[in-house]
Parts: sequence; C-alpha cells; structure tokens
Amino acid sequence: MSPPESPTTNPIAGIPEDLARVDLDERRAILDVEASLYPVEAVYGAAYVFIDRCYVLLDRPEPTKLRIVLTPKQLDEDAAEGLRRMVGELANELVSAAWRHQITQENRAQIEAVTMQAIAGAMGPPSLDDLEDFDFTDEAFEDPLGIAMSWEEKYSKKDDAAETAEPAATQREEEEE
Amino acid sequence: MQLLDLRGSLDARTQAFFRHRRIGPDRTLLTNLEGQWLVLDDEDFRRFATGATEGTPVHERLRAKNFLRDGYDEAKARETIAARKRFLGYGPNLHVMVVTLRCNETCVYCHASRADMDAVETDMSKETAERSVDLAFQSTSPAITIEFQGGEPLVNFEVVQHIIAYAEEKNRTAGKTLEFTMVSNLALMTEERLAYLLDHRVQICTSIDGPKAIHDKQRKLPTMSAFDEATVWIKRINEAYRARGLDPSLYHVEALLTTTRAALDAPEAIVDTYEELGCHAVFLRPLDPFGFAGKTAKMVEYERRRYLDFYARATDYILEKNRAGVQMIERYAAIFLTKILRGEDPNFLDIRSPAGAGIGQLAYSYDGNVYTCDEGRMLAAQGDDTFRLGHVDESRYRDIVGHPTVRAMVIASNLDSQPDCVACTYNPYCGIQTTHNHKTQGSVFGRMRESNICAVHKGIQDYLFNKLADGEPHVLEAFERWTTIRAREHFLHAPAGS
Repeated sequence: MSPPESPTTNPIAGIPEDLARVDLDERRAILDVEASLYPVEAVYGAAYVFIDRCYVLLDRPEPTKLRIVLTPKQLDEDAAEGLRRMVGELANELVSAAWRHQITQENRAQIEAVTMQAIAGAMGPPSLDDLEDFDFTDEAFEDPLGIAMSWEEKYSKKDDAAETAEPAATQREEEEE
Repeated sequence: MQLLDLRGSLDARTQAFFRHRRIGPDRTLLTNLEGQWLVLDDEDFRRFATGATEGTPVHERLRAKNFLRDGYDEAKARETIAARKRFLGYGPNLHVMVVTLRCNETCVYCHASRADMDAVETDMSKETAERSVDLAFQSTSPAITIEFQGGEPLVNFEVVQHIIAYAEEKNRTAGKTLEFTMVSNLALMTEERLAYLLDHRVQICTSIDGPKAIHDKQRKLPTMSAFDEATVWIKRINEAYRARGLDPSLYHVEALLTTTRAALDAPEAIVDTYEELGCHAVFLRPLDPFGFAGKTAKMVEYERRRYLDFYARATDYILEKNRAGVQMIERYAAIFLTKILRGEDPNFLDIRSPAGAGIGQLAYSYDGNVYTCDEGRMLAAQGDDTFRLGHVDESRYRDIVGHPTVRAMVIASNLDSQPDCVACTYNPYCGIQTTHNHKTQGSVFGRMRESNICAVHKGIQDYLFNKLADGEPHVLEAFERWTTIRAREHFLHAPAGS
C-alpha cells in the first residue's frame, strides 16, 4: 500500500493528472499505468532503472492500475522540474521495456541461438581443471518425464521398482496412480 | 522531409522481408535481413510498396538483391548472415592491459581515469602482468592483441617489456597470432624505448586532437607543449619504419581524435594536421561520457547535430583530398562501408551485434581486476563495479567469459532484441555499447531513441548512403578503397612453424 498522497499534488504539463502528478510536499512523483497495457515484467524493468537515484515503490491502487512512486534520494535543482523530468524518463523507459518484452518473446529463438553461440564460442570446451571441479555427485537435473531412466527402471513391475532407487517424479506419480 | 502517401494502395504480397528509411527528398533506402541494400526514388518505392514492379527496370534490381518473394534466394541469405556473424565462433581477441594509472598529461576529457605521477601504487606488478597474460592466452581466439594502456604506459615501461617477453615466450607453445599495440602520448618516449618497441614489432598509437592550439588546449603537459612532444615522435617513428623498409602508407603511427567542442569549427584544419603528420587515417570519434568527461561535460560537450555537421565537413574534405591524390581514410566510415559494400564484418567491437564486451575483449586493470572492456574499467575507477568479471589471481577463464554480466551484455547488445534497432534500416551494419547505455541511461539496454551513440551511428550512415546514392565516381572509388583491408603483417607474431 503506497503512503497516502498529500492533498497538494500538482499536475504535470501535458500529462493527465490521473496518470501522473508530483507531490512537492513529499518530493515524489507518482505515475499510474494501465495494467493491461504494460506487462508487469516491463514495469519491474523500467522501475528498476531508477533505484540508484530514487526510492521506488510499486503498488496496485486498483485492480486495473499499477502505480510507481519515485522519491528521489537527492533533488539538487528545482524540485518540480526534476520530478517532471523523472516522470518523463520513466514513461519512456516503460514503453521501451514493454516493447523489448514483446520483441524478446517474438525473437526468442534467434536471441537464444546467438547468445549461446557467442558465449560457447568464447568459453570453449572445459579444461581438465574445470572438469576436476565439476560436482558429479549431485542430481544433474530434475527429470519429471523419466527421460534419464533406463527402460527397466521406468517400466518394470512395481514390486521390482520398489527395490530400485527413486530417481524421478514420474515414477512417483505412476506409483501414486 | 516529404512523406509518401501510400494509404489504400499498399500490397504486401510480393516483397520479401525489408526495412526502409527516408534518407532525403525522393530517396528511400531499403535493407534486408542479410544486409543487401538499394536506394529507390519515390516512383520506384511506390511501385515496390504497391507490388507493381513487374515489367519495370526496378524489378530486376530488387530481385538481384533478394527483396522479392518470388525467387528469394534463401541459401544466399543464410550464407551472407553467417559471414557477417563469423566473429561469434571465438572469444576475446583484444586484451587491454592497464599497466599503470599514472599519467604525465592532464586531459580535460580524460578517457583513462588517470592518477598523478607519484601514485606508484597504481602500477601493475610483474606477477599481475603474468597472470593477465596467462588469462589472455586461454582465449579461444586464434589471434590475440595485447594493447598497452594507462594512464600512460611508458610510465611503467619495465612491466610493458615484461609482458612482451612473457607473452612471446608463452606463444612459442600456444601458437597464436600475437600482436602488441601501445596507446601513448609519446612524451616519455626515448630512442632506447623506441628501439625496443620496433624490435618487438609493437604498433604505436597516439592521440592528436587537431592543430597545436586545439590539442594543447585539451591535453596539458606541464612546462611544455603536448602537441610538440607527440609530433616530434610521430615523425621520428614513421622515419624509423621507413628505415626498416616498411611501406609508409601502411606502417605509420596511428592517431586518434577526440572531438571536443573546440574541434567542431575546425574540421579542415584537423584533417590537414593529420596529413602533415603522415597519418593516413582519421577516426572522428565523438566525446564519450567515461573518465572525467562527465564532470567537465559542460565545458567540452555539444549537441550531436553539431558533431554530425562536423563529421560531414571533415569527411567531405578527406574525399576532396583523396581526389587530389592524398591517401587518407575516415575510420568510422571505413567500418560501416566494409559491412555495407563487402558484406563482411571488420570486427570493430563497439559496432557489431552482439558487441564485443566480454566476448571480444577483456580489460585487465593494474590491480588484477578483470573487466568486460576498457569502458567498464573506467567506470570502476569512478566507483561503479558493474562490469567487473573477476580477478587474475582467483578467476578462471571460463568463469570470466561465461559471467552473468557478459551474458546480459550479449543479450542487450543483440540488435534483434532492442526496440528501435529491431526495425531500424541500419540493423545489419550497426552496434550498440552497453556500458554507454548503463552510464547514460541507467541500464545496459538503454533507449536508443534517446542515445547519443544511436544518433551518431544513424547520422553517419545517412551521410554514407546519401553519398552512395549520389554516385559521384571519385567518391565511390574512394569508398571502395577504404574498405580494402591490408593486413599489417609486420606487426603479427605468427605462430611457430607457420
């Protein structure tokens, strides 16, 4: 729950007051955005950019609205102008983050392929020293479909299976059925 | 610029994937996925956009460049994209070694986070130097360049020599193509040091900010002229190259320009200065926000529009000199033109996608900390450790290049993940700098529409494509020559046995 607004919030020129306003008494800016327009990941991403300069609070004042409150850690200049500029920057960052969120979903395969090739090309194969440090004793990964299990482990009779180690969730699920 | 009204007549059934940009009246630039390009006049663009090219001369031009669905050559597109991304297959080739922060000069924009001459604690030790070289040699790149930076690297020349000797010895078994470069203001050069650098084939680069008045205004050397000190040695070094039988058009001191406000009104004088010094390349770099530049921005900064006017004037002047027989190139243009005209990537680390930070270069600070790039190291000097990847004493190579920060930078500098860049006509040729985004806009992703680097890259490419569309023979001939890469083989320490 964001702190109550002081009764003296001021509108920002060019922006409807129900979307953004500055609270000069509390020296903070408040931006309300339509939740259906901005994915919550974009709101996190855009708000995060300000945490070195501001204390940032996120809230949901109404089911369809997300609120971002920026309280600058330091305001050296004209407070109204400084806050107005931050609201503008936040609004631009929100659009950028929302579009980037959409692009990364659309181009996911290409981005992953290029990233993997770039990192793998730079890293190269592990050296003997690297391999020495690998921990082979841990479970390598979750195996809910039992892909890493032998045919016998996966499909043997339940009496036999009870004697084998319990390797994966699939087996447990089969037994529960 | 007049917009074309194509509403109601668009037909999207005949075109293959393309991006477009108005670059002038009656001119629209088209580029496609693999970086082929065409400039169309309004009539032809209207035909293209409305699917009515059949039977007109532009149809064949479009088809030859893979802009039409009919006859789209997928294999050729795949091959071209693979060639452009060839750099993805291997790791860092540029290893920046900051052998000291001490510097004898004080520059208004200082790009190198300097320390005073008595700050001996900012000298790299021989042990740290060896660990840095050990890491560099673990790169998967078959070629590595060790670049000596500072501060002023000549201040800690003993460690420079130690690194060279250690790397040469190491390369006897590593068998890489090894190269050394040094970025120096040259004021502390001596005949003895020069002889050593020449014997060990170290490429020498310096900074020249323009004619003496401009250079000395930006770069202060106590009791003497920084310009005089640098130029005396530039001439001496070039003379030494000639004495060793090296072609002066290929072997000469490379000089870098930092464009400050004082330089904007003097593009011709700057180019003339470079010519007089025997420099065959000018790199018209705008000021960046690293080092002290942030603090002194009010004194030296300027609107990017002014920079682009300066860029156009200077490059026009270089082209006129080319026409008169003077061999000189502009490096920004050469980087973009190599991609535009040859379909190759010259692997300039800040203008490629993804960018080279961490995967194409590493920076080793005097204290053994390793950073994604030189800019990351400069930010750390100002208290921002975002781009630190580890330390030469305790980090393994694979942990450094596979660091989460490197992965984030690879994703952030992939133009196909960036708003604006994803739809930009210059996508096949461009690149972004994540450290710049972080410094100026607070995140490695940044907002390109508000980025100075984006404005500069777009402006330079607008200039180049307009020149290409103008089609003046002497300009096309010069551009073709600017993209001809002649390897400086003398500087390459070839693998043993090759």
